[in-house]
Amino acid sequence: MVNHLWLKSRFWLDSLSKQQGSHERHLIEYQQSLTQQFTRTIYDADLMAIDLEMTGLDPMKDQIISIGLVPISKGTIPLVKAQHLMISIDGSVGQSATVHGIVDHQLQDALPVDAAMEWLLKATQGHILVAHHAPMDMAFIQQSLQNVFGQRLLLPFIDTLMIEKSRYLRQHGQLVEGCVRLGQSRERYHLPVYAGHNALIDAIACAELFLAQVSALGGSTQIKCHELVGLSK
Amino acid sequence: MNASELQPIEQFLQTHAPFDVLSTALIARCAREMTIGYYAKASAFVEFDPVNPKLYLVRSGAFEVRDPQGVLVDRVAEGECFGFSTLLSGEKVVNKVAILEDGLVYHIPQALFTDLRSQNRQFDTFFTRAFAQRLRNEHKFKAKDLTTTSRITNLMSQTPISIEANASVQQAAKLMRDHRVSSVLVLHDQQLVGILTDRDLRNRVLAEGLDGQASVDKVMTKQPQTVASNALVFEAMLLMSEHNIHHLPVVDNQQAKGMITSTDILRSQSSQPLLLIGEIDRQASIERLIHVSKQIPVLLQNLISADARAEEIGRVLTSVTDALTRRLIVLNQQLLGKAPMAFCWLAFGSQGRQDQVACSDQDNGLLLAHEPDEFAAAYFDKLTHAVCKGLDQCGYIYCPGDIMAQNPQWRLSLQQWQQKFKKWVMSPEPKALMHASIFFDMRAVFGPQTLFDELQDSVMSHTKDNDIFLAGMAGNSLQQTPPLGFFRKFVLERDGSEVKGMDLKHKGSALINDIARVYALSAGIKEVNTAKRIRALMDANIINRKDALNLADAHEFIAHMRLANQGYQANHNLVVSNYLKPQDLSSLLRHQLRDAFKVVHDAQSGLKLKFTRSF
Repeated sequence: MVNHLWLKSRFWLDSLSKQQGSHERHLIEYQQSLTQQFTRTIYDADLMAIDLEMTGLDPMKDQIISIGLVPISKGTIPLVKAQHLMISIDGSVGQSATVHGIVDHQLQDALPVDAAMEWLLKATQGHILVAHHAPMDMAFIQQSLQNVFGQRLLLPFIDTLMIEKSRYLRQHGQLVEGCVRLGQSRERYHLPVYAGHNALIDAIACAELFLAQVSALGGSTQIKCHELVGLSK
Repeated sequence: MNASELQPIEQFLQTHAPFDVLSTALIARCAREMTIGYYAKASAFVEFDPVNPKLYLVRSGAFEVRDPQGVLVDRVAEGECFGFSTLLSGEKVVNKVAILEDGLVYHIPQALFTDLRSQNRQFDTFFTRAFAQRLRNEHKFKAKDLTTTSRITNLMSQTPISIEANASVQQAAKLMRDHRVSSVLVLHDQQLVGILTDRDLRNRVLAEGLDGQASVDKVMTKQPQTVASNALVFEAMLLMSEHNIHHLPVVDNQQAKGMITSTDILRSQSSQPLLLIGEIDRQASIERLIHVSKQIPVLLQNLISADARAEEIGRVLTSVTDALTRRLIVLNQQLLGKAPMAFCWLAFGSQGRQDQVACSDQDNGLLLAHEPDEFAAAYFDKLTHAVCKGLDQCGYIYCPGDIMAQNPQWRLSLQQWQQKFKKWVMSPEPKALMHASIFFDMRAVFGPQTLFDELQDSVMSHTKDNDIFLAGMAGNSLQQTPPLGFFRKFVLERDGSEVKGMDLKHKGSALINDIARVYALSAGIKEVNTAKRIRALMDANIINRKDALNLADAHEFIAHMRLANQGYQANHNLVVSNYLKPQDLSSLLRHQLRDAFKVVHDAQSGLKLKFTRSF
């Protein structure tokens, strides 16, 4: 598995380095910073929980409106490094405002999407992303990278939903509707219910769930990153 | 980043002492600079970082602090802290913190903790006091006695009588007369500036020749000694004797909350059980007895706030009821003359089991040595009516099911009682049995023990090893099950109304009483107190040691929760009931309660297996 991941990364890097723009160098650096993480234990690895709020569920049509980030380091979550970014979007927030509690006027200080993506790459460089239902967040990030840089990345990620799914299946044999949603999953680990619902709080909630899952799996020093990582292209 | 984006975390801080005293800006800073950790039960103990000591604030889960000798120092649940001893003393960590339940913990780094303490005095005081308390209360979890452990809140007058500083002494005197108090709080701009007592009116007004128009602030005692509502009664007593005063304003956060007087303390002392029983025995009239019985609820409150064992509380309260019953019988016999024959006053149900608590009703009967003639029947009719009425007036209301000695149906000769029991035992219709179960928890409160023994011996001879009867009793006791599933359920009913909560009596204590009763009757054990029954069953090897100890612990714990809950309800002017809402509990208690119910569940399975398998 390690070799497999590493090879894939190498291959990706080679194909990137054949093109020589500043964006590409940027992306190469980003990619290189990740490969060394795979062989580390969860305790020693640099991880970053991420949550996106979007205007909808379709990466082709919908847009990211905010990003919450919080690192997971040495088995703890340092809130002082938590970040929350609003992204200015075309059109209006519309229906989803009722879900996220973000209304248009709050987006005035927001960054445009290209600046936001640069910010994201800088903020997460060297960190493996951790998200609940990660493929969705990854799809939105990849689409935005494509739009901004004309280039996708090979993004390793850890999906707390997948971890929960396999754990739940092991214990119960079959899934029940909604049983692996963030809230329900947290409940099983006696994690508190958060009233707030924004990208940052959800990123923190996801990070906490991850810590709980890891300790249920045997502890952060017992598991290596590559055992949990998936790849997004 | 906008500070309020960590709102759920800030909100948690805002609602938990001592963080609730911090300014919004400090709360936001605190939330920002914390790290979050997760502690799994599987790792057993919290690992401390000796280089970077921290304050640990529990967000969820349950923890136990033990000293190097393994003695329990503190239990820490949601919203509570550990690690402050090391931060305050600067010494290295010696206590061990065991993880009882997986949990999320907020870490507050030392620099932040020090800063918060220097910026907010109350925050600082909270921890220095908690630290001092911990040093003092090394034996906090051992037995406690009343004076030293009950708190001011339980005794103080709830509505403080106060007057403005510029009022006249005549106005003050009128206010004191109207409210029948011996002192008033003197306020200026809502702040306590002094107190005025009877003694001040005498020494500083009358004796000095001032008239009624003199203003209060000229004669009051300025800057009086005060006490916090969560201080111990013991501390108030110390203050009073140190300063030779009889009144102490109760002040929290500079707000006057009430007044506590030496009389309040004295009164609380006299409702200690031995004094109360002594007082009952001294009363020469039924009216006086009724008056004295008004102290029983105070006694219960005191026992609860002293955190006495539930079993002891039950025994103490029942011995007060017993004393009261005996005194009522003696006083009424003085009016009616000597009884025409030997008799026993029987107590059934909770009084029989010695586990009476608040709002008990009467369950009693009369056992006569032989068949009464017309004269004797009339005598006992009068006596029992008088005693039952007396009990009712003393707060033990008439039994709604009419199981009382004044009901001729339950005023029987030895032979009639024996037949009655024989009928229940030999032809066990489940329904009849269900109503009869309280009769099997009987005890003689008054009268010759030999007469009572004769009845009990014959009952036991019928119940012992009587499979059909025992199967019926066991079947009845399995009708109710402990609320194990409740913990997972919603806190609101579907229609939006609040659920009543868990019935700790009928789905907890009563089930254990039932289990112990069936076993005791099967083995011919005469004890009726549930804890004693369990002990006797363990000694006789009928229940194995581990199960017996577990069941006894569960019994004590559930009864304790019920009493603590009722104490809380009474203190907050709520309807006193057997219902407990699980969401009101800390996760530690919830965890323990769930364990206790599991023990009951297992004991029920055991009962089922042993007594009902062949039917």
